[in-house]
This record gives sequence, C-alpha cells and structure tokens, in this order.
Amino acid sequence: MTSSAPASRRPAAEPAGPPPVRPRRGDGPGRVSRRRRARTGWLFASPALLIISAVTVFPVLFSVLLSFAEVRLEYGGFSIRSLTGDHYAAVLSSPEWRQALLFTFGFTVVTVLLELVLGTAAALVLERLGAARGWVLAVLLLPWALINVVAAQLWGYLFNGTYGGLTWLFEQLLGHQPDILGQPASAMGAMVVVDVWKTTPFVAIVVLAGLMLIPGDVYEAAEIDGAGTWTTFWKVTLPQLRPIMAIAVLFRILQAFGIFDLPFVLTQGGPGTATESLAILGYKTLFQNLAIGRGAAVATTTAVIVISCCLLFLRVFKAQADEGGRA
Amino acid sequence: MSRRAPASGVRRYVNAVNLGGLAIVVLSALPLYWMIASSFKGPGEISAAPPSPVPKAATLGNYAEAFVRNGIGRYLLNSVLVASVSTVAVLGLSFFAGYALGRTPLRGRGGIMTALLMLSVFPPIALVVPLFLLERQVGLLNSYAGLIVPYVALNLPFAIWIMRNYLAGVPRELEEAATVDGAGPLRTVLTVIAPLARPGLFTAGIFTFTATWSEFLLALTFNSEDGHRTVPVGIALFTSQYTVPYGTLFAGAVAATLPIGILVMIFRRSIVSGMTSGAVKG
Amino acid sequence: MALSRRTLLAGAVAAGAGLTSGCAGKPLDTLLTQAAQVPRTPATLTWWVSEIPARNGPVVADLIIRAFERRHPHIHVRKSNALSATDANRAAVTTQLAGASPTPDVYLGDTTWPAQFGTNSLALPLQTLLPKDFWSAYPAALRRVSEYRGAVYALPFYTDSAFLFYRKDLLAKHGRPVPRTWEELLRTARTIQRAGDAAYGFLWQGSVSESLTCNVAEFLADAQAPVLDGAGRVALHGPGAERAFALMREFTETGVTPSTVATYAEADSQDAFTGGRGVFLRNWSYAWGNAADRSASKVAGRVGVAPRPGFEGDGPRGVSCAGGWSNFVNPNSRHLGAAVAFARFCAGEEAQLILLKHAGVIPALEEVLTRPEARAVGDPTLTRVRELHLVARPVQTPYYPQVSKALYTRANAVIGGRATPAQALRAARADIRTALEGRAL
Repeated sequence: MTSSAPASRRPAAEPAGPPPVRPRRGDGPGRVSRRRRARTGWLFASPALLIISAVTVFPVLFSVLLSFAEVRLEYGGFSIRSLTGDHYAAVLSSPEWRQALLFTFGFTVVTVLLELVLGTAAALVLERLGAARGWVLAVLLLPWALINVVAAQLWGYLFNGTYGGLTWLFEQLLGHQPDILGQPASAMGAMVVVDVWKTTPFVAIVVLAGLMLIPGDVYEAAEIDGAGTWTTFWKVTLPQLRPIMAIAVLFRILQAFGIFDLPFVLTQGGPGTATESLAILGYKTLFQNLAIGRGAAVATTTAVIVISCCLLFLRVFKAQADEGGRA
Repeated sequence: MSRRAPASGVRRYVNAVNLGGLAIVVLSALPLYWMIASSFKGPGEISAAPPSPVPKAATLGNYAEAFVRNGIGRYLLNSVLVASVSTVAVLGLSFFAGYALGRTPLRGRGGIMTALLMLSVFPPIALVVPLFLLERQVGLLNSYAGLIVPYVALNLPFAIWIMRNYLAGVPRELEEAATVDGAGPLRTVLTVIAPLARPGLFTAGIFTFTATWSEFLLALTFNSEDGHRTVPVGIALFTSQYTVPYGTLFAGAVAATLPIGILVMIFRRSIVSGMTSGAVKG
Repeated sequence: MALSRRTLLAGAVAAGAGLTSGCAGKPLDTLLTQAAQVPRTPATLTWWVSEIPARNGPVVADLIIRAFERRHPHIHVRKSNALSATDANRAAVTTQLAGASPTPDVYLGDTTWPAQFGTNSLALPLQTLLPKDFWSAYPAALRRVSEYRGAVYALPFYTDSAFLFYRKDLLAKHGRPVPRTWEELLRTARTIQRAGDAAYGFLWQGSVSESLTCNVAEFLADAQAPVLDGAGRVALHGPGAERAFALMREFTETGVTPSTVATYAEADSQDAFTGGRGVFLRNWSYAWGNAADRSASKVAGRVGVAPRPGFEGDGPRGVSCAGGWSNFVNPNSRHLGAAVAFARFCAGEEAQLILLKHAGVIPALEEVLTRPEARAVGDPTLTRVRELHLVARPVQTPYYPQVSKALYTRANAVIGGRATPAQALRAARADIRTALEGRAL
C-alpha cells in the first residue's frame, strides 16, 4: 500500500444500520459522474438481488397469503377457498403460542448476550495470542463446523440420563443422579449451554475480523494519552467494534429466534412444552397437524416479531452510535 | 500482535491471554474429543455406565458401518459439491453486491438492506412447501442445483451485509487512484478492492460453507433420492426408529467433520493472514 | 426496486394459484377406476420405505420388491430410502404429497396416520378395491386404526407390539414369579432394588413424544379408561383414568422408575436395560433381538418376555398398543393400478412370509404366525403375540397429532411431579377438547 494517508485513513466508523442515508461525501472526481457510478452499482448488485428475489420473494409472499387463507388439501394439490383472519386469531389466543414465544424470546436474549460477551472475549484473546493463534482459531472453528443435527445428538449423548458423560460428572459432584433434560429449568440451561458452545465461534470470528479493521494509530493515540487496558477497550476498541458487533448480534438474533434443530433432537420441546420454540411449534402445526394456513400464520407472526425486534435494535443502536459520535 | 513489551519469565506464558486461549481450546475440543472417542467404542461400551473416557476395546466397526453399509462416502461427495459451489457463488455475488451497496451512490440502498434482512427473517420451515412447489414446476427436484440455488439465495443476505460493511471502510483514495490511472470500474474493483476484502470474504465464506454443510430441512425434502442426498440427511438415515446408533452416528460425524478440520488445520496460517490483512490495518 | 410491491404480490398470487390449483380437485371416481386395473404397459413405481429391521443379512425391502417383480414382470419398483425417525419422515413425505407430487407412488407410514392423511386427501381410499373378507386375516385393532368413516386408507404390512421384558436371573434369585399385576411388579422391583441387584426397577418411555402416548394409552386401557367415547368426544375422567395416571407417578415417586424416564424414548430405556441396570422393561417386540444380541447386550441369555401386567382386579392383561407400519397409496400417482397391486402384495402371504423369515418385526397377517417357520425363528415375541390384547390409540380423528400431544405433555408433567394426576387429567381433557374442535394450532 503506497497511499500516503493522513492520520485518519478510515472514515469514521459508520453504524451498520441499514440506511447510511447521509451522502458519503462529494461525488468524487468529476470525470466519473454520479449517475455512471450508480449504474455500475446496479449492474454489480443486480445478479445477487435477482437470485434472492427469484427464490425467496415468491415463497415468502405465498406463505403470507396462505396465512390468511382457508386452505384445503385435495386430490391433486391444495386449493385456497377464501381469505380469513381466523388463523391469526387462533395463533394469538393460543396458550401454546404464547409459551413458545416466551421461551424463544428468553432463549434469544440469554444466548445472544452470552455469546456476544464470550465471543468478544475470545476474539480479544485470539487477537493477542502469539504463535498459537492459528491452532486456537482452528480448534475454535470446529464446533461451528459440526453439523447442527449431529451437535445436538452429541450433546444428547452427553446429557443422557443413564450413560451420559455430563450426567456422570454431575452425579460425582452432586452425589445424586441429575435429570438434566427432564426438568424445565435444567433443560433450558442445557439448551443455552449447547447453543453457546456451538455458536460463540461465529461471534468470535465476526468480531475478530472487526478488530482487524481498527487502525493501529487509534491505539497509539490512546497509549500516548496513557489509557490503561480497560479504558482503551471501553473507549477505543468497543466503539470501533460496534458496527461489526451489530451485524453479529443482528444475525444471531435471527438465528436464535429460529432455533429448531437443538430442541428437535435434544428435548422434542419437553419436558412438557418447556423448550418448545416457535420454530418447533410451526413445524408441528405444518407437518404434523397439516394445518397449512395456521402454520403459515405462526411463521408470519414470528417473522413480524423478529423484524420488529431487529428494526428496534437498529434504531436504538443507531441513536446510541450517533450520540456517541457527538459526545 | 502484543501491544505491550513482552513480559519476562513465567509471566510470559502464564497470563490472561494464554489462559483464555487454553480455555477456548479445552471447552471447544472436549465435547468433540468425547465424540471421537465414542466413535471407536463398540455397541456395549458406548452405552456403558459409568462412561469410559478412553475406549477400552477400540474398534473400527462404526466406521465400517458408516462407510460400507450406509455409504456415507457418497453423501460426503454430494455435500462437498453443494457446499463449495454455493459458497463460491455466494462470495462472488455478495462481493459485487456489497461493493454496490456500500460504495456506489445507488438509490434506495437503505431500503434494499432492510429488505434483505426481512427476507432472511422468514422461518425456513414456512418456505419449504412453496419452494417445493416452485422446484417441482421448474424440475429442480433431486438435483444438485435444486439445493444450490436456494442455498445461495438464503445465504446471500448475510454475506452482502458483511461485505458491504467491510467495503464501506476501504479508503476512497485507493479507488480513486486506480480510476485516475484509467482503470474501468470492473478492473478497479477486482484489482484494488478485492484483495482488501479478504477478511470479509473469509467471514462470509466460513458462514456460508458451514450453513450449507449443515442444512437439513430443504435437503431432506427436495432430494429424496439417495444419489443427491447430503451428509446431514445421510447421517439422519442412520438413526433407526428403534435405536439411536450413537457409534455409527459419531463415526459419520467424524468423517463429515474431518475434511473441514484438516483444511482448517492446514490453512490456519492463511486463515489468520486472510483475516488480518485487512485494508486499513496500520 | 424496479418492480412495485403490488406487481410482485399480484404475480405471486397468480403464480401460487397456478402452481397449486392447476390440477386440483380430480374426481375420486376417476382415480378409483384407474386404481382398479393393473396396467399391462410397463410402469415404474417408487416405494417410500424406511428401514425394516433385518433379522439376518439381506435387505428386507429388496427381497419383497424382487418377489413382486417376479409376479408382475412389467412393473418395476424403485426403493426410495426414507428416514426412520418418524417425525422427519413425516415432514418429508407430507411435503411431497401436499405438493401433489406423483412420487412416491406407495409409501410406508405409521399406523396413526390413516384418519388424518385420508381426511387431507394424502392417501387414496381403498375399500372399494378390497374383497369383502379382506380384514378377517388381520388383527381387528389394525383394521380400526386403518379405517376412518368407512374408508380404508392403509393396507397392513407389519405391527409393533408391546411386551414386558424381564430379567430371568434376578427373578429366580429372589424367588419371584413374573408379575401379573402392576402392584406385584412394584413390590418385586422394590425388593430387588433394595437388595442392590439392580439400579432401576421398571423402565419405560416417558419423553414428550409419541412413545409416551403409547405408554399412556396402554396404562389407560389397563384401567379400562377410554380417551374418547363412542361418539368421538373426550372421555378421560373417572377413577380409571386417575388410577392410570397415578400409577405413572407412583413409579417415579417410589424410585422404581428413575426420574430420567421423563426423557426416555425407546432406545434410551432399551440401552439402560441391556446395560444391566433394570429388572423390567416395557418395549416393542423388536427389543427382543437387541436384548439377546451378545455383542450389544450385557444381559443376553438372561431375558424373558411376557405380556404386560394389568391392574389388580378383573381388568385386562397383556394390553399392547397397536403400533406398526402400513402401506399408503399416493392419490397423485401416475400408476394407481400398479401402486394398489404393490400395496396389496405387501399385505399378502408371500411378502408376509418374507417378513417372518428375514425381518425382526411381527407380520400383520395373523395366519403366518401359526406356521412352523414362526417357531423356527426362535423369537418368543412372534409366538406370544397372539396372547396380547391389542388396543388402538385414539386415532379416529383427523386431529390425532394434537390429541397425542395433549396426552404426552400432560402425562410428562405427572411423571416429573409437576402436576397431580387429577390436574393433568383436567388439563389433558381441556386440550383434547380444543383439539377435537379443530381450534388447537
């Protein structure tokens, strides 16, 4: 890199929120007109946008349509009889749905927070590790690379009430055989542990890549100011990491809210319905009960709730980031 | 990377960073070790209580079962193909889209980014039936493309978000210098921006690869013939209605994770440098 | 975006309508006419089949296909390996059927599916294609689960029956007979546990799944308490139902059954038993093969099989859920005649004899169980199955999955001590009522 960049090479950290509405700065050198650059932009973006639209737009809209429809299965496929809002009334008034929502919401909040803290810690450790970094990174990636269904089976084996390694370990510690997946509280705890084990690497990698984007001179400035490790972390590193952390959190919220494989294999939603997530409920409604309209309504309400959460998160995040920028 | 002067003596090795590294390794690896050890246990030992940390009578029976009787080799090949092609396609498409959305004055960028987010929010379970109808109409069922196309579409939003965020941080001066030299937009992007995008591409790549490697529901419903089935479904086929053959299951899982593990180990240096050679690192 | 949202929506609706209703609403008569004739032109069928447990080497499904192809040289049958895990299998097959896919032509499905699949047009009604005395050769309980409102949606293939497996050596050591009542089983188990000869007394299946529904249905039948009454409304009340629910709690409360039973599916309970940790095990007939397998079972050679006990008094003994797998015909099959012929072949003598000799399951055709071959196999579950009293789960409703869920979630709470039997029954009644009215999710 030969550029003789001034002190701040990187534009101020920009919030990750969708609309970076304010124009990026001037229109660049006069020779490349803004319009031409925009055309290039469309050219570059359209293949990706086209394939996304082709594959996802129709199914999403179709699902939304089904959620309002009286669907009947007939010989030769299913037909839509009339439009109705009944499915939503049934979903919203269902105690099962409310419990699933509560569980999914709590699970999302707890796991995403834990993973954010642990993932950031792991990223900071990785950044500072010396020669061993490659190895540690490699090992950290393995749980993430494990097939979800298999990971759930592995932990199911570890938690097995008769011969599970963890059951045995707890038996030695507690003096009696624990019933980890059989009681609501410990079953939920177990679920959180497995998810944190499996997905913290994702957060760690995203944050680590973010750490790499922080220009070294920012640290040098802090060092000159005599800031300690903690102060540097809170005042320098964290603000710089925010945009990338926001992405990690955003997509973790999406994934955690859709949690399916884990309860499906580990507890089937039990004990009782303690670990029945919205995705499991949707699955049972669609594929076991063959209630296509209601299943679509469960899915659509889930999507609406997640979208609201994400937009709210982005708004709060952006407001904070702006405030931080002004301070 | 240590920003402080190296400490001397014992403190050089026993410090928060190294302990943290150790904790990461132990916590990540222990359950995996258990899986590997169990994959060598015979049918009696695998469900023995108390469990044995090291197989007492190690056997390759589970591997024979997984490869010879259940033919996991074929599923592995299918998975490698589907996951690699999907990842390459996602990286290519998201790189250009991320550049467009992060660095060109495209109108409605904010709206597009939000729309991408919203599309990726929809629970995949609800998409299975409409997608199935769509694929049947187009004749994509029981083919590699039948999985690759939806995988690419479903994983693009995250990849675009990541790429956009990375590329937005690349200094404008670099690009302008290239433009002044007379390079067209495509050449500028490929020669100047692409090398700087490595950490982002790497993150998006890992994410896409593991997501497609793991995907179960679409793979289960769209490819119902053995010839095109992927590993997650193949492994699920081991589980009979009557028993959970943990040994065979873990042997299959080891076989399915080993290639990734070996790749990661071999390329650990390039991975680190890939992640650290960001454009703006001072 | 170039396209307006409205255009997109309109397009999606139009496309959706085109995809789904293109051929919807075929009259049943046409389908049945096609189904009545075995085609003379070559046809290829796809058979969706999960693994049939094999007693010895050969793959059972392949043997049956070959036998069928010998009889019908112009029909070729292709095997489509289905997942054995019932839930995932169901998702895969229902997606294809609801999507009006012409394949699979014939699919092997659970005995709890007929009413629901039939009502939702996912299975062809076959009663007009069968001889009048067709069902006389099969268990009556199997007929009850295969029919709904006079229509037959599934043809018999094989059954699963529940037995009580016990440790012969431990009973002999303590001089106890094989228990004929639950009260006796509790006493025997406690004696053996107290002597330190076994960690657990009685192992069964209490996880929130269909496994538990089967156990609950059996305990309820032991106590002669129906889930649904004759008119199909929820019953599930009175002293019988309470007795059945109280028994489940008594098992875990006294420690005769470990509290982890609340997470047990069949495999877990079987592993604990073959690991030598239990005196008694309730499981399906196939567990015999696993318990007798010396490479996997510590208790091989020391296991006995008996019908399940009943309650003290004049109630029934040897109650068993009518489980198992049957063949269904996809109404959208392009070769309905061939498909029906194949499904019928699987229920017939030749295929059932193959099951008897090569598969570790109980053939549905009762007559083959009396053959000398049945004895030659050496599996006591085959010879004792006729002593059982088969009961159907409350599958006579298109809302069976919700009914089952109500039973297993509420019973699971009783087992875990989170609800009293009376509370759980009240809650289950309310849930089932909601389910039967079609108001449950």
